[in-house]
Amino acid sequence: MAALKKFLLRWEAVLVLVLLLVNVFNTMSSPYYLSVTGLLDATRDFMDKSFIVFPMAMIILMGEIDISVGAAIALSSVIMGVAYNAGNGIPMVAAILLALLVGTICGLINGLLLTRFKELSPMIVTLSTMTIYRGIAYIILKDQAAGKFPSWFQEFGWGTVGPVPYVLIVFAILAVIFTIVLNKTKLGRRIYAIGSNRTASIFSGIKVDQIRILAYTLAGFMSGLTAIFLTSRMSSTRPNIGYMYELDIISMVVLGGISTSGGKGRLAGALISIFVIGYLKYGLGLNNISSQILMIVIGLLLIISVLTPNLVARFKRWSTVRKSHRQSMRST
Amino acid sequence: MSEFILELQGITKIFPGVKALNQVHFQLKAGQIHALMGENGAGKSTFIKVITGVHQPEEGTMTLRGKQVEFKNPKEAIAHGIAAIYQHVTCFPDLSVSENIFAGHEAMRGRLPVIDWNTMHGKAEKLLHRLGSDLDPRQQMGALSVAQQQIVEIAKALSTDADIIIMDEPTAALTNRECEELYRITEQLRDEGKAIIFISHRFEDMYRLASQVTVFRDAQYIGTWPVDGITNSDLIRAMVGRSLTEMYPPPLSQPSDETVFAVEGLSRTGYFKDVSFDIKKGEIVALTGLVGAGRSEVCQAIFGIDRPDSGRVELLGQTVTIDSPLTAMKLGVGYLPEDRQKQGLVLSWSIEKNITLANLDRFAPGLLVEEAKEKETAERLSKLVSIKCQGVEDLASSLSGGNQQKIIVAKLLTADLKLIIMDEPTKGVDVGAKHQIYQIMRELARDGYAILMVSSEMPEVIGMSDRIVVMHEGRVTMIARTHDASTTQEKILEAAVTRVSHEEPALGGKS
Amino acid sequence: MKLTGIQKQKHGAIGAREIGMILFILLLSLLIQLRNSQYLTAENLNDLLVNAAIMGTLAVGMMMVIITGGIDLSIGATLALSGMSAALYVRGNETASPVLAVLIGIGIGLLAGLINGLLVGYGEVLPLIATLGMMNVYRGLTYIIANGAWVSAHQMNDGFKALAFNRFLGINSLVWVAILTFAIGAFFLGWTRIGRMIYAVGSNPEAARVTGVNVPAIRTLVYAIMGTITGLSGVLWVSKYASAQGDTAIGYEMNVIAACVLGGVSISGGSGKVFGVILGTVLLGILKNALPLLKISPFWQDALYGLIILFAILMNTIFKRMVDKNNLQRRHI
Repeated sequence: MAALKKFLLRWEAVLVLVLLLVNVFNTMSSPYYLSVTGLLDATRDFMDKSFIVFPMAMIILMGEIDISVGAAIALSSVIMGVAYNAGNGIPMVAAILLALLVGTICGLINGLLLTRFKELSPMIVTLSTMTIYRGIAYIILKDQAAGKFPSWFQEFGWGTVGPVPYVLIVFAILAVIFTIVLNKTKLGRRIYAIGSNRTASIFSGIKVDQIRILAYTLAGFMSGLTAIFLTSRMSSTRPNIGYMYELDIISMVVLGGISTSGGKGRLAGALISIFVIGYLKYGLGLNNISSQILMIVIGLLLIISVLTPNLVARFKRWSTVRKSHRQSMRST
Repeated sequence: MSEFILELQGITKIFPGVKALNQVHFQLKAGQIHALMGENGAGKSTFIKVITGVHQPEEGTMTLRGKQVEFKNPKEAIAHGIAAIYQHVTCFPDLSVSENIFAGHEAMRGRLPVIDWNTMHGKAEKLLHRLGSDLDPRQQMGALSVAQQQIVEIAKALSTDADIIIMDEPTAALTNRECEELYRITEQLRDEGKAIIFISHRFEDMYRLASQVTVFRDAQYIGTWPVDGITNSDLIRAMVGRSLTEMYPPPLSQPSDETVFAVEGLSRTGYFKDVSFDIKKGEIVALTGLVGAGRSEVCQAIFGIDRPDSGRVELLGQTVTIDSPLTAMKLGVGYLPEDRQKQGLVLSWSIEKNITLANLDRFAPGLLVEEAKEKETAERLSKLVSIKCQGVEDLASSLSGGNQQKIIVAKLLTADLKLIIMDEPTKGVDVGAKHQIYQIMRELARDGYAILMVSSEMPEVIGMSDRIVVMHEGRVTMIARTHDASTTQEKILEAAVTRVSHEEPALGGKS
Repeated sequence: MKLTGIQKQKHGAIGAREIGMILFILLLSLLIQLRNSQYLTAENLNDLLVNAAIMGTLAVGMMMVIITGGIDLSIGATLALSGMSAALYVRGNETASPVLAVLIGIGIGLLAGLINGLLVGYGEVLPLIATLGMMNVYRGLTYIIANGAWVSAHQMNDGFKALAFNRFLGINSLVWVAILTFAIGAFFLGWTRIGRMIYAVGSNPEAARVTGVNVPAIRTLVYAIMGTITGLSGVLWVSKYASAQGDTAIGYEMNVIAACVLGGVSISGGSGKVFGVILGTVLLGILKNALPLLKISPFWQDALYGLIILFAILMNTIFKRMVDKNNLQRRHI
């Protein structure tokens, strides 16, 4: 009984509860929602950006942050679109690979800047690169759109295996890989160590810089991957694509219980949060909530995602101190 | 009216899991310098924090100028005329000296909420002058040397019209000359009628300045004596609880002739220069000197945390380049860091996970970490170093200082090492655990490890080492065999506080 | 050892950095003039100043936020929200009082800043996240109250539109606002106890707490001040451009941050001078002014601001390293 209680009090259990509530709410909003195909189709909305949640979780676990991912999505997407559509355009397959390359480079730049200039905070560096990357997207495409992709390109965003969208399959594969990596491998252990105590990690021989560069480069790569699926779903690209995506992604990680101070939290929580936030936004869309209100919701979600674990942690700390204080008094 | 300006009776302070002070007493007169001595972990710092209002005691009374008081926060203590100067100066590096002195009670222009800079700088200058310093108070605090910052701290204490001044290890980082300055200032304050509590490791500080000495040990009050009424060895026995010979276990073996490790001409601009010494197999070499002499910096250079600018490192006769802690460990060098909580442990983790952190490759030859192997190794090593716990799943944060230190020793033993560097291995460790750590060190030496022990405690240096290397302001000033007749405590101390050559150090300007 | 980059420099004095910037500004102006002689004309320079005025006013508030170690990404959205609120009040209302419009703007700004401040100071939310989230909230609110439309010039009464064009002693009102803000800011930061507490919180929050500074309150205060300044600037902005839209001032926070960083305000907190920020604003104003003169498309602006900020912080870091290295070498070991 005590074990069950402990399980239920875990943050992930609370999230599952919230997820159920969201789905109840959505079912009331639309009769087509609660079906296997309905639920699976809905995931298309948010599954592409979920790829970035994995490296973002790594980054936040190390006590850092990356707000340039939305801009990296835009730059990858725009370059892919322009490279394909240009006068002597390159083949689509090459354009897709180019998107991955661009994203990876964006992430690598962040990683190199932060490890060569340790005095700088991830906040200001990724704020600058965010502006630069999106700025370049605007320089390339101005206020135009680029589309006219081959019809098979739509398969990424819209294709399915049976009722299951491709995006969901890719997500599932990544989920399995990253869960194993973070929970069971040396790399995962080291990432948690860096987030809990960076100095002790250095003194323990952990190659902190290498791991940081890996995380940011991975975030860039995933941004490229997201760009491919997102552009495929939209069938076109503009420089403002992926605007504010970092808010959703960071919310999903933080709401999942991974604290911005680093070293705490499990990937499982973030994975559940992806669906919580994803279905919540989808449901609002079902109710024809305007995109402006949606903006407000996204902003509030991020803040609530951060505040809630903060307040819960503070409460826990307060009650633990009281408990051990009482214990110490008893033992004297 | 009581003859004492400050009296504490039966003070008890409890933190989660540990009793830091157990019914301690203290009495202080005006115009007196009263020394407070005791080993690391004896409770001196906690005691001072009770007096200055940082902590509130669970039991006991504090009587100030005849009235019972209890301070809820440092501000109240300051308002009652109590000021403390710590070894590690907490200040605002970006702000000026004057602002640091008057933080919280800046000089205002009349009734307006406007800062009167001229008056404030003028007052600061006067205070500094009174202390014999000609520092420009307009300078940024961060540009000053440690000694200069300490003088500013004293000025700060004076600016609040404190008549009880507590000095916590003020001489630890000072040169001979700076020490003399500090002695002069302290005596001047005493003559002005201030009451001073002086905490120091150095007996010479106590003999020079204090009239009374109180000893704490293991959170308990041991006694108070007039300084000229107690002998050196009695004092040590009071502090340590046993005689010198009982405290430090005898060597289990003799060091061999084989040199395991050597540095030659090791230099790092601004930190140390021309450091050369060697360590033999099975030998314990003590690296001693004042705080700030560069000892930890040398160790961290050897361990690959920072790169030296020039010089050679030799391991088993081969010249090696150590560019990272990982390389150091692969080559067989291990490091027990000075700050075990910040540098040595992940406090929120279990003992087991801490032990394996430095050598995960061994526990994860494939992709996944083999948790069974982890647990087995952790349990074996934990027993080897006698970690007192319920199981290796216990959190590191729940252990005492001594046991936490043992976790790090166990962590080192997961690798194949030839040289173990221990930086202040018994700092903040209670007496019982200290003895155990010394025992472990003797066993390691017997098993053939070469050990470099950084220490500031003279009894420990003399009691445990085979040879001593003394550093002062970045240079090696003495290397000698500990048990040679010519190696006296006085000689060691002299090497630690003076520069043997005749160059005058130019440490950042006048003071 | 912590990187301090601290030279033996007297507090408050004009240092090498400021002199370097002044020289750079002069050099840059010379180069621009050589490319396009329209640069050094009275009309252009006036344009430059007026355009830079709002940025400068905002930079004073942002500076205080950054000194405490924080950042505020929501000011673009707050500009829009307060401007839109004021515009909606005067819309179609001939007798609308410009003064009241300004007060409405200030009120909205203050409220927005206060919310940001409480989240950072008491909620212990990272400033980046708090202001990023609230940015969306304020922007969304702007769109909602505008109800999809925008307020244009013919819906605003003359009194309101004149706000940004009044002149006193030959100087435009916006420039006056900037001058006053600089003056009050410099006085507040340099001569009042609370102002020094702001530096203390940024320099060493733990020591500040021990000294009795109410750290959460100070953090809340600087965001509230930023919000108030933003509220005022929002009304002036809308008056100047005689238009209030949902997407007014998107991304403008990057401008303001760039002005601060160029002006020598350290992103890690604890230091920054108003005079430096003035120079940073002037430099940025020149760049903005020069872009069209040098025939550079406005689509380059965002990337340029990002590069400027990155360049400035990298330069700051390299400079600090050099200073520290120099300090180390002077430690005669």
